[in-house]
Amino acid sequence: MAGGQTNRLDSGGLIDRSAPLNFRFDGKTFSGFQGDTLASALIANGVKLVGRSFKYHRPRGILTAGSEEPNALVELRTGARREPNTKATTAELYEGLEAASQNRWPSLRHDVMSVNQLFAPIFVAGFYYKTFMWPAKFWEAVYEPAIRRAAGLGRAAGVADPDHYDKAWAHCDVLVAGSGPAGLAAALAAGRSGARVILCEEDFSPGGRLLSDGGTIEGLPAAEWLSRTLAELATLPDVRIMTRTTLFGVYDGGTYGAIERVNDHLPSPPEHQVRQRLWRIVARRCVVAAGAIERPIVFAGNDTPSVMMASAMRTYVARYAATPAKRIALFTNNEDGWRTVEIALGAGLQIAAVIDARPDVSPAHRSLASKGGFPVLHGSVSGVDGGKDGVKKIAVSLTGGARAEVEADGLAVSGGWNPAVGLTSYHRGRPKWLDDIAAFVPDGAPPGMVAVGAANGAFGLGACLAQGFAAGSAAAHDAGHSGKAGTAPVADDEAFSLTPLWHVAGKGKAFVDYQHDVTASDIELAQREGFESVEHLKRYTTLGMATDQGKTSNVAGLAIMAAVSGRSIPETGTTIYRPPYVPVAIGAFAGHHRDETFHATRLTPSHHWAAEQGAVFVDTGLWKRAQWYPRAGEKDWLESVTREVSAVRGGVGFCDVSTLGKIDVHGADAGAFLDRVYINTFSNLAVGKARYGLMLREDGMVYDDGTTSRLAEDHYFLTTTTAKAGLVMQHLEFCRQVLFPELDVQLTSVSDQWAQFSIAGPKTRDLLKEIVDPAEDLSNEGFPFMGAREVRLRGGIKARLFRISFSGEMAFEISVPARFGDAMARNLMLAGAPFGVTPYGTEALGVMRVEKGHIAGPELSGTTTAADLGLGKMMSTKKDFIGRVMAGREALVAPDRQVVVGIKPVDKARRLRSGAHIIPKGQTPGPGNDQGYVTSVCFSPTSDQWIGLGLVERGRERMGEIVHAHDPLRGEDYDVELCNPVFYDPDGGRQRG
Amino acid sequence: MAEFSWVSRSPLEHALAPGAHGARGVEAGVSLTEIRNFDLIQVMARRGKAAELARVANGRFGVATPNAPTVVQAQDATLIWSGPDQFFVLSKGGKHTMDTLAPALSGPASLSDQSHARALVRISGARARTMLAKLSSIDLHPSAFPIGAAAATSIDHTSVTLWRGGDRPDGQAVFNLLVFSTFAGSLWHTMLDAAAEYGVTIAHSEELA
Amino acid sequence: MRIVCPFCGERELGEFTYLGDAKPVRPAAGASEDEVFDYVYLRDNVAGETSEYWYHGGGCRTWLKIARNTLTHEISSVEPAAGAGAAKVGA
Repeated sequence: MAGGQTNRLDSGGLIDRSAPLNFRFDGKTFSGFQGDTLASALIANGVKLVGRSFKYHRPRGILTAGSEEPNALVELRTGARREPNTKATTAELYEGLEAASQNRWPSLRHDVMSVNQLFAPIFVAGFYYKTFMWPAKFWEAVYEPAIRRAAGLGRAAGVADPDHYDKAWAHCDVLVAGSGPAGLAAALAAGRSGARVILCEEDFSPGGRLLSDGGTIEGLPAAEWLSRTLAELATLPDVRIMTRTTLFGVYDGGTYGAIERVNDHLPSPPEHQVRQRLWRIVARRCVVAAGAIERPIVFAGNDTPSVMMASAMRTYVARYAATPAKRIALFTNNEDGWRTVEIALGAGLQIAAVIDARPDVSPAHRSLASKGGFPVLHGSVSGVDGGKDGVKKIAVSLTGGARAEVEADGLAVSGGWNPAVGLTSYHRGRPKWLDDIAAFVPDGAPPGMVAVGAANGAFGLGACLAQGFAAGSAAAHDAGHSGKAGTAPVADDEAFSLTPLWHVAGKGKAFVDYQHDVTASDIELAQREGFESVEHLKRYTTLGMATDQGKTSNVAGLAIMAAVSGRSIPETGTTIYRPPYVPVAIGAFAGHHRDETFHATRLTPSHHWAAEQGAVFVDTGLWKRAQWYPRAGEKDWLESVTREVSAVRGGVGFCDVSTLGKIDVHGADAGAFLDRVYINTFSNLAVGKARYGLMLREDGMVYDDGTTSRLAEDHYFLTTTTAKAGLVMQHLEFCRQVLFPELDVQLTSVSDQWAQFSIAGPKTRDLLKEIVDPAEDLSNEGFPFMGAREVRLRGGIKARLFRISFSGEMAFEISVPARFGDAMARNLMLAGAPFGVTPYGTEALGVMRVEKGHIAGPELSGTTTAADLGLGKMMSTKKDFIGRVMAGREALVAPDRQVVVGIKPVDKARRLRSGAHIIPKGQTPGPGNDQGYVTSVCFSPTSDQWIGLGLVERGRERMGEIVHAHDPLRGEDYDVELCNPVFYDPDGGRQRG
Repeated sequence: MAEFSWVSRSPLEHALAPGAHGARGVEAGVSLTEIRNFDLIQVMARRGKAAELARVANGRFGVATPNAPTVVQAQDATLIWSGPDQFFVLSKGGKHTMDTLAPALSGPASLSDQSHARALVRISGARARTMLAKLSSIDLHPSAFPIGAAAATSIDHTSVTLWRGGDRPDGQAVFNLLVFSTFAGSLWHTMLDAAAEYGVTIAHSEELA
Repeated sequence: MRIVCPFCGERELGEFTYLGDAKPVRPAAGASEDEVFDYVYLRDNVAGETSEYWYHGGGCRTWLKIARNTLTHEISSVEPAAGAGAAKVGA
């Protein structure tokens, strides 16, 4: 016995007694060993009570030794790393581990909420739907909060997870789920054949039941065969064994999801390492060797601490050298349960009795009983006397009607085994019923997948090895590998011999779903109330809907429903199986993509220069764009933006507009192609000229706009809005490849090739002359409005110059290869210093476009037509183009459509807000008289007031009309005037000058 | 007149800090080297002229152009498949620029300069594949992605061109990654995050191979 | 889900973008409003084999015509669009 570990055997097990570990549970310090789980360490320390149940706050102990555990859920770790509902049965022990029991107050032993048991009648199946229906508003205010406090599981940390997670891809020929005898045999056969193999094992040690049950394989003790097999697999370069990795889902095309708990077994991940990693595994074939889950028998008091699955009991004894009880009774309906007796006797534990529900017990076991000096009782357990300190006495109904009592401090239960049919059923597969093991087994599987061994209902060791080996070999062969696999390892099959038993009638609560506190009587009630279908049963009683997804409870629940509804179990059927097989942290699905790396970020070529200038950046899509450039002494953004606008209008400024989508359109038919995608004509555009173009969707609504220039007979340079750059490229490729494949057109995105700057203001030419080679003619004659051509810059590099204006000023856009973008910004500052050049951001850009009445994102809303935007005359009548026919539909040309118009508050001091609704003056706002809304606003330094654009019914005919702006979101109401949307230089003289 | 110069700045110049990154005390498992100042021209066959382009390009480069996801090494250029009937010409020192290639190829092909539109990162080291498995859904096992294999694929939902060059003298595989310039800084940090646990050596170079 | 791109080989779903039914054919210039309405809006809701357009935007930027079973997600064929690459279409 190791210090304090009262229930630890002196020898045996797979724990490392030379590596003691201290840990705390509910504030008390304990010790365990390397190789323990939290559950095995608690057992070794004599702890039986580990939690309180969900609804009734019943004391609960440890039921299983695996990921199917419904009871022993704890909050693991503290602070930001606190993780609720962690299964003590799979949590690896580490030095300093801290865990706390859940769902109890003030303490586990004295839990006030256990009074819920007294109110048990109101917590029956469907109580959510019945008890608290009236009065309706009490639900949210009273009932739900009260229930949530009383019934529940662990508490989330409530603060951001400090750990990192990542995601990775893996590829293999043969994926094996589970490293028990069947999985190892499959990996061995596939690996020897030359296949690339990945073997996923959720435990930290490979071996599956071999670690607990032993046995003889190829004449060797199981442990020795296991180490030899692992050694051989390690020599195969393309076989990868991933422990602490649960295969949780199967998706289309042979893609599988797995979660690797990379560092959950440490207090915190080492620096630069992740906590967990989500794997997407692409496999040609998958061999499911996920084993089976032992199932409880439903009887009164079956949730008493130290009532445990028989297989778990022997796992704790054999693998962890921890004894859940000293004097053990076994309740079984099959031969396999008896192994627990053999292992317990081998460890020197006492057997109080075996209660065997079958008519016969094998002679071998009968003689074991007489040698061990314990009785074999034919019958069933009908009740348990005990409580939070565990089992004390067991009531037995003997076959024939007599009663007996057994004194024991632990009860091992085996109701048979359910193959783990999750993975094979995740594509809506329905497993089939197999009478001889009284269990569901896979009936087919998703393409490329096969189940073997216990997962396939073959429980014998020999059968597991044979099926696994054959499947591994076949899978490798299917994937094109034909190396020599050798012969399958040989072992004997043990007898199973089960007589089905699901439920023993008796007084007291008999639990089916431990985690959701669903009892046998809840299922009977559901049936009486008409919820007979398994899908109804599940939702009405919440059977199988807890975090364990009913791994230990579903089949028993179906069996009880079948019995009370007079149907067979296969007739009753199963619910649909859905991934994930075990809970997966959201952080693992997010991986790297959180916080500032939530998505990839795009930076403009002048980004770092702008950052040096102190620019404030704004996220626009994936981009970071300079929004404004604050200067010392400016009190707010508006002051900065107003300064920038005034500087442009009065002198010269520049703005990085590289975020626009840019596409090279090449080919002999490039012009004809553009004619079909734009509403206006581009085939007649002269080389060296730019033109504004508008694209519709095929339904007639505006899709995107931009300026496109013709740089050569067979080369256009098309620009898109920032927002639609990728989508327009996709759309144009669709047009090129699908709609108009006869046209000779090539499309290349050159968005990232060019750093593009807008240079605007009356002194633009003065500035440009400093940058552009003196030989280039920039005069109005030499470079007229809407001119576009390549120019040489001082210093020798080539640039593209476009005389286009978004601001309404004399303006050019200049493109240089992107790596010169940073230099361009610096050189514009240098060359423009004598002219007071001012960099401006997206806000000033927006102000100037609103002042000029140019449409942008808010007006290109997907619900506007070209005519709505005042651009109806651009629609060519001489050619077909995308959207032409649908744009002519009655409703799209109706005279009362909402169209773009200017808007300004009557009170010049008032701030206009976008989103405000336009209502006729003197009317009460309502849906019936809502005539549109304000789309874009700005403070216009030129107008010295807030102005905006809006979409307003017949807006263009109503310029000068005073209407009402109603803004219920902000609680504002004020009068505005509808006006010409071009607030600034309506004749356009400035941009042409 | 103002005195100014045209300094070419790599999109990774700001993000890239030469030296060691991530886990220390181990031999760096990943080596990341940015290759700077290359010429990259996108060549796309015009309709019905794929065969003519292949012929003309063969004459120009002395090798058959890639017609499957592979790279072909010419004497002074690397031809990288980028899609059906199209490829990149990657070179250095002005040997294959728009000015020199357009006269030769513009009959059967359309050309676009992408020299500034991409950043090029060379990835190698004992853990290069392990690290790339976090970024790329492509199977990079030697049997699936041998020397000369190329892929037009995505990392972080962003289009990239990935190919395997010749092995390092120590036998380690070398992967080359072309990423969009405006995404380069972001993807660089993603790569560093993925590689940090293995230890990273960061450098930049002007040498293509 | 994985799609075998005829040019790139087998790739994961994330590289592709779904557009929709590939059966409707864009009416020629001069078609009536009704014909275009059908093309733009009317779709069969097929339980079984469908023909769909997908875009390999995260790869070679080819538009693909994919025969897929909506009940099983099984893909029975993947073809490039007529005008993929430099393919010559028509005279």
